[in-house]
Amino acid sequence: MLIKIPSALNIGLKTLGVDVEVNIASRGMPSFDIVGLASKAVDESKERVRTAIGNSGISFPSKKITVNLAPADVPKEGSFYDLPMAVGILSSIVQFKIPESSLFFGELSLDGSLRRIRGVFLMAIFAKESGIKNIFVSKQSANEAALFKEIKVYPVERLSQIVAHLGGKQLIRPVECQEIELELEKRTAEFDMSEILGQEQAKRAVEIAAAGGHNIIMIGSPGSGKTMLARAIPGILPSLNKEESLEVTKIYSVTGNIPSGGSIIRNRPFRSPHHSTSLVGLVGGGDKPHPGEISLAHRGVLFLDEFNEFPRSVLESLRQPLEDGHVSITRAGGRAKYPAEFMLVASANPCPCGYLNHPTKSCACTPREIRNYRKRISGPLMDRIDLYVEVPSVDTRNLSQDKRASKFLETSATIKKRVEKARSLQKNRFQEEPIHCNAEMKNSHIKKHCFLSPAVEGLLSKAGSSFQLSARSYFKMIKVARTIADLENSKEIEPTHMAEALQYRSHFHDELN
Amino acid sequence: MEKKFNLKTGRLGEDMAKKFLREEGYQIISRNFKTRYSEIDLIAKKDNSLVFVEVKTRVGNNFGSPEEAINKRKRNRLKRAAQAFVAFHHWEGPFRIDAVCIVLNKEGEISQFRHHENIVK
Repeated sequence: MLIKIPSALNIGLKTLGVDVEVNIASRGMPSFDIVGLASKAVDESKERVRTAIGNSGISFPSKKITVNLAPADVPKEGSFYDLPMAVGILSSIVQFKIPESSLFFGELSLDGSLRRIRGVFLMAIFAKESGIKNIFVSKQSANEAALFKEIKVYPVERLSQIVAHLGGKQLIRPVECQEIELELEKRTAEFDMSEILGQEQAKRAVEIAAAGGHNIIMIGSPGSGKTMLARAIPGILPSLNKEESLEVTKIYSVTGNIPSGGSIIRNRPFRSPHHSTSLVGLVGGGDKPHPGEISLAHRGVLFLDEFNEFPRSVLESLRQPLEDGHVSITRAGGRAKYPAEFMLVASANPCPCGYLNHPTKSCACTPREIRNYRKRISGPLMDRIDLYVEVPSVDTRNLSQDKRASKFLETSATIKKRVEKARSLQKNRFQEEPIHCNAEMKNSHIKKHCFLSPAVEGLLSKAGSSFQLSARSYFKMIKVARTIADLENSKEIEPTHMAEALQYRSHFHDELN
Repeated sequence: MEKKFNLKTGRLGEDMAKKFLREEGYQIISRNFKTRYSEIDLIAKKDNSLVFVEVKTRVGNNFGSPEEAINKRKRNRLKRAAQAFVAFHHWEGPFRIDAVCIVLNKEGEISQFRHHENIVK
């Protein structure tokens, strides 16, 4: 007796249909074999399936069972073929029919209950695209799949439940489909902008960065508030829209980062990997290419604290994704392309001791030490960071006074409103382009969308020659000026906007020469 | 005492298997043929094909089914033993390895009897 149970397989962010074929021979020595390039986790499911069926009060058939995972030439990973196999075997003992146009996936526990699995969201998308109507999945992962009206998602808690359901005895109620349009949750950032005392210039720079999606680097002494500023950024970023939310959810689903019972990701990601993170951890890779931190930060913030403590090779690997907005990883075990459109927020000290240009403390570093320290961040990488801002240390004598003033400081919510307004201007501007914000503009977009009046052009070329701006920096300044103009709801880029943009040019490597 | 009991059970099972195979039209050639790899419980012949039979007998099911005891290691041994027999006797026809699994109750009566053909591929 041959039974076919449809299931699926995730390769990177792509999903492939897999047929789990279960053959139960009426003759032959009892055995249980799995073929079809099954990995260790799949092969081990024999014991899980056998025990789970036994513990569900059904005796495991003493027959010759052969399971084939078709197509047989694609390696199968993961533990979610437990459920289709168990359903296939059960259908031979307990008489029921496999409902048409259904997908099954789930990992079995030895007691016959179903466990949460990764990548359910991607499989739901696959189901939608291939017109499948029913999905049977563990209860904890059901919300992840229940996003499309045309698909019924059945949350299965125990194996015995699915037997009762398919046998028509006791039906499982499908999960209610969740509206994606639902108002996206309010993000609670770790810090509110009003908690940060002083640092008005840095706050302004952070606001511009958030408004245009620009990369930003903050240089300052220890304790000046760089990290606090960075952690406040999620609070001023615009909410994710539906499309972006789905993109982020895909990545979080394959990496198993969606909490049990969770659904789509509604908040912009904020990732702050430690500086000991490896290249593979940051960019992605591994035996079977999996997404790295830059992909997990897609449509959100990648915060690299102590920027120049990261190994050089790791930092340089950011260059291509920063430019392209995606990363292609090729390994012996497969090929994958992951999106990586993130806002890079970096922070670093000005010198090894950290007190260069400090108003009261003296710096103990030699020029050579400082040069070596700064050389860890290469010119090309620095060139890709639009905003460079120095965060001076706060004068502690004024702190108590500032604290009282803090209720007059702008809250993140107010800033967020301005940022959202600027973003909506950009959205209108780039309606016909494949880009979303000013930072993503290529030179052709700049020519089309950023008209420079002679006064502004004069200012820029003057700055270009006196500051020795590179061609890339030149365009960078225009992009930043465009965002500043957007924040002020100005159609044209005025000389004042350009003048402010020029303040944020990098002079990280200048002081040395 | 325990060992003797198992031996007796085994013998009893082999006798039952022998009787069964005879009734099925098999011609029994040899019993308990010893090789350096394993002992072959029964060697039979039917339709010009040599059949090596492993007989497993259990009393009750406290220790799992008899089939479970014929694991990969046992099957490999049987295969090598069969090959040794074939080589020694210059047999050139087809041969296969079967299993006869018997479960007895406490009174020594058959409660389950199964014959599996070709257990080693």
